[in-house]
Amino acid sequence: MLRTLVYLDADLASSIALRYACQLTRVIDMKLHTVHVEEPDQDGYAPGSGWVRRTWENAMLKTGEFEIAQLINAEKSSCPMLGAPKMLVGDRENEILREIQRESYDLFVEGSLHSFTAKKLYDKIHSRLYRHIPCPVIVVKNLVDLEKIALIVRDDVESKKLVSMFLKIFSGAKLNLDLIYCEFQEPGKLAFKGKVDKNETMSAVEEILMVNNWHPENCRTIQGSPEEIGDVLRNYGLVASSLHHSISKKSNWFQLLSHIPSPILICWQ
Amino acid sequence: MRILVAVDQHPYSAHVVKDVAKLAGNTWADVTLLGVGPKATDIGRSSNRAGIKHPLTEKLKNYRRNFLGHFEKEESPYEKKSCNYEFVEVKRGVWEELYICRGARKDLKIVLRSGNPVKEILAQSQEDESDLIAMGCYKKGDCQWEGAVNLPQKVANNATCSVLVVKEEKQIRKIVCCLDQENISQKSIEMINQMVTLYQTELEIVGLTDGTALKPMVEKNLNAILKYYNARQIKAWIKLVDVGSLASFISQEARRSMMALWMGKHSLLSKIFPRGKVDKLVQGSESSVLLLR
Repeated sequence: MLRTLVYLDADLASSIALRYACQLTRVIDMKLHTVHVEEPDQDGYAPGSGWVRRTWENAMLKTGEFEIAQLINAEKSSCPMLGAPKMLVGDRENEILREIQRESYDLFVEGSLHSFTAKKLYDKIHSRLYRHIPCPVIVVKNLVDLEKIALIVRDDVESKKLVSMFLKIFSGAKLNLDLIYCEFQEPGKLAFKGKVDKNETMSAVEEILMVNNWHPENCRTIQGSPEEIGDVLRNYGLVASSLHHSISKKSNWFQLLSHIPSPILICWQ
Repeated sequence: MRILVAVDQHPYSAHVVKDVAKLAGNTWADVTLLGVGPKATDIGRSSNRAGIKHPLTEKLKNYRRNFLGHFEKEESPYEKKSCNYEFVEVKRGVWEELYICRGARKDLKIVLRSGNPVKEILAQSQEDESDLIAMGCYKKGDCQWEGAVNLPQKVANNATCSVLVVKEEKQIRKIVCCLDQENISQKSIEMINQMVTLYQTELEIVGLTDGTALKPMVEKNLNAILKYYNARQIKAWIKLVDVGSLASFISQEARRSMMALWMGKHSLLSKIFPRGKVDKLVQGSESSVLLLR
């Protein structure tokens, strides 16, 4: 059973992430664990030390716990197996990272509303949490139905690692799957090539999937600008892609990921 | 709901009448088809009287026929049930025999006014207490009415109700609605709902941020609106746009999507597009524009 950690704040992004994660439990054999981190020094003043600080932190936790509990209760009807969240105090990224490493989670899910500019996603990918996280991540940008998954095929080595991660997470799931290869071009020339034109990497990936009882519905190449391709990929409930931590903001691959409005599953290279 | 459709004799007007017929079918709105032309000297009191001298009267009759043709006769809320000659007191002590039709559940008025088109359209909308003024325009260039420079822009600038400007035969792929204020009326949300149903498109709800995050009330509204549309099986996407990038975002999206903007009193959008500048938005957009007030 996959152990999945969902990060929650008392906001819309987390509400969407939780609802999406609950959808995942209906197709994957997974157990959801939720966590929230209260950052005591967020407002910029020192809350003392020793028992003063502990009392203050407990009060902060109580408030946070109430808000997160409300979020979880709202989803209980569609996700009855949700337990009480783990409440932590400290630096958000450090605490999440420690929790993932301590409990050996297989997947991390968090919400981050889709943004017009790439800055938000860029900051996230280059955050301490994402640079050191040992497991794949699903960034939930919008609440969509999980009916179809797109696997972005890149080069041979990266794609094999991506497929291996995908098979581990979605083992036993019954979902439609497409393999997508992207050829970046100037805007205004969006075009699609079908199965007949699939390349060697795509063929190799398809073979691995078929051996594992996954039969991609479509293998296609999409030619266009990152924005145009990102717009096409909105038809998928999840887009899986590999990603380097050091990816540049100007890179076409990064621009593509920032333009996709659907949730993205990131396999770290 | 009361819809005022401003028309002239050009193809973009026929297109908007078709769209409004579908909208009226979904909403059972009271509709006024308004033609505005030059001063006429001989307009028949009864529209089936021959010898009418105004160029728009035939077009208005056609538009009425096309509008009513959208509905099955038995199901049409605009179908008059029975007509008779009756004496009606038109003034105190003065009775006139008029041909009265009773029984239509909803009102379809055909009105012809002469004078300055912008003033007449706005005046009619005030008299009717319209919820929506709809008009078409050429999709090429800067959204013009033939022979009436910047008419859609001027109406959009000065109307006190919502305005829908439909670019001639431009297929709408997506409706993008920008939300920033803390109080969104139920009427506005339902208007968007009707547009999505009318054009069978997806909806993108834009939340404006001030660089850091959404205002708590705006986030709460966004969540409520998302739940509202999901419950009605309308696919709604969320996108956050920083206020600093808003102008660039709108100019990009207006090329391919219908823009629906809340222009309420306290809206940030009404500061970015104050009354005098709304015409630039209507003019520059390649797709249809819905200004919600």
